[in-house]
Amino acid sequence: MWRLLAEALAVAAKDLRTEFRTRVALNSLGLFAVTVLAAVSYTVGPYRIATEDRPFLLAVLMWIVIFFAALAGLDRSFVKEEESHTAPLLRLAASPLAVWLGKLLFNLLLIYLLLAILVPLFCILMGYHVLMVGQFVLILALGGYALAVTTTIVAAIIARALTRGALFSVLSLPLLLPLLIFLIQGTAATADGSLEVIQSTVRAVVSMGGIMTIVSVALFPAVWSD
Amino acid sequence: MRGSVILKWLLLVWLAGVILAAFFYVHPAEGFKGESSRIVFFHVPMAWIAVLAFLISCIASVMYLRRRDPKDDIRASVSAGLGLLFAVLATVTGSVFAKIMWGAYWNWDPRQTSITILLLIYAAYLALRGAVADPERRAALAAVYAILAFVTVPFLVFVVPRIYWSLHPDTIINTRGTNEFDSRYTQVLMASLAGFTGLYIWLYTLGCRIEAIRHRRRQEVL
Repeated sequence: MWRLLAEALAVAAKDLRTEFRTRVALNSLGLFAVTVLAAVSYTVGPYRIATEDRPFLLAVLMWIVIFFAALAGLDRSFVKEEESHTAPLLRLAASPLAVWLGKLLFNLLLIYLLLAILVPLFCILMGYHVLMVGQFVLILALGGYALAVTTTIVAAIIARALTRGALFSVLSLPLLLPLLIFLIQGTAATADGSLEVIQSTVRAVVSMGGIMTIVSVALFPAVWSD
Repeated sequence: MRGSVILKWLLLVWLAGVILAAFFYVHPAEGFKGESSRIVFFHVPMAWIAVLAFLISCIASVMYLRRRDPKDDIRASVSAGLGLLFAVLATVTGSVFAKIMWGAYWNWDPRQTSITILLLIYAAYLALRGAVADPERRAALAAVYAILAFVTVPFLVFVVPRIYWSLHPDTIINTRGTNEFDSRYTQVLMASLAGFTGLYIWLYTLGCRIEAIRHRRRQEVL
């Protein structure tokens, strides 16, 4: 157990170190998010949307920016191993479960970094007024986890295919759409303050993240090793 | 061989009977506009087969990961192809019904959203199969994706319509546990479900045989 955790942390630390050498994932995630946010803020702005539509429509915009930014960068974790031909060595050095956990930790860190920068910026630029800040942060944290765990296993799949970039979005989006629906409804509810919707959203997102975690743990070895 | 020919004709006669019964044996149901309720006999079996094909594909995928038998991969891919076909048919029949009852072919009702995502999943699965050259790797990756997709489908089919408001009539597993249709309806619907399931089985075995021959031919060439 401790050995597994140590191995996973080593994999995550290695990924962070190589990431800071090139910053490919960070740049693609961050620049995509900031560019789209600038475009949205310029064209829609804080006052274009009627007050009664604001909680819902701003939640839609926010999650679309987050999801597409995630799809722009989160496949790097596995694709870079195949592109630089370091995957065989990693297969020898660490157990499959540790590799999966390490990559998940790395992706989780990227997502939370993205959320920490993007969401406050979005709220300021778009004038998004959230009533229940605690629940809002909870939904962001749970949603970020479910997003990271789903994209990690899909990234592992597409890293072994021929056309990687386009395939990542094509394979991820159908799996992520129910999550996107839940998160939009839940976030809108934190802005207009309906507790019931928040509760059912939290239940749905937690079960989705949990199931994806279990399935990933069970299936990852089949993807990782031939 | 003769037995399968008899079965095939039996299936075709049965399906013809279902079509006749759907239009002449049953009276239009109350609460539905005009004759629109008759589409239920075709729409529900299509949706059922779309889900059944998905289930079979997922079971075959699990079997593949356990045994690594190429036949299981063939089963999974054939079933996914048929599932895509029936999901398209379910969408088309559903939107015809939506146009008559609700006034628009498409209005992003949670049910329509979930069938769209099912279509996307099937398409993504087939796209993934097209993108991997090595047959064994393709089979393993496709199997993993099919299982991943399979665990998200219950959220679409059961959770999303439960949490958020839907226009769709209650499904077979309805919340109140009652059946609003009269007995003739139930008879024809069950007959239609059985008939279309038979049609699926027939198409599925044909597809598997064709793919098995292709597989053997490829190996002979190599």
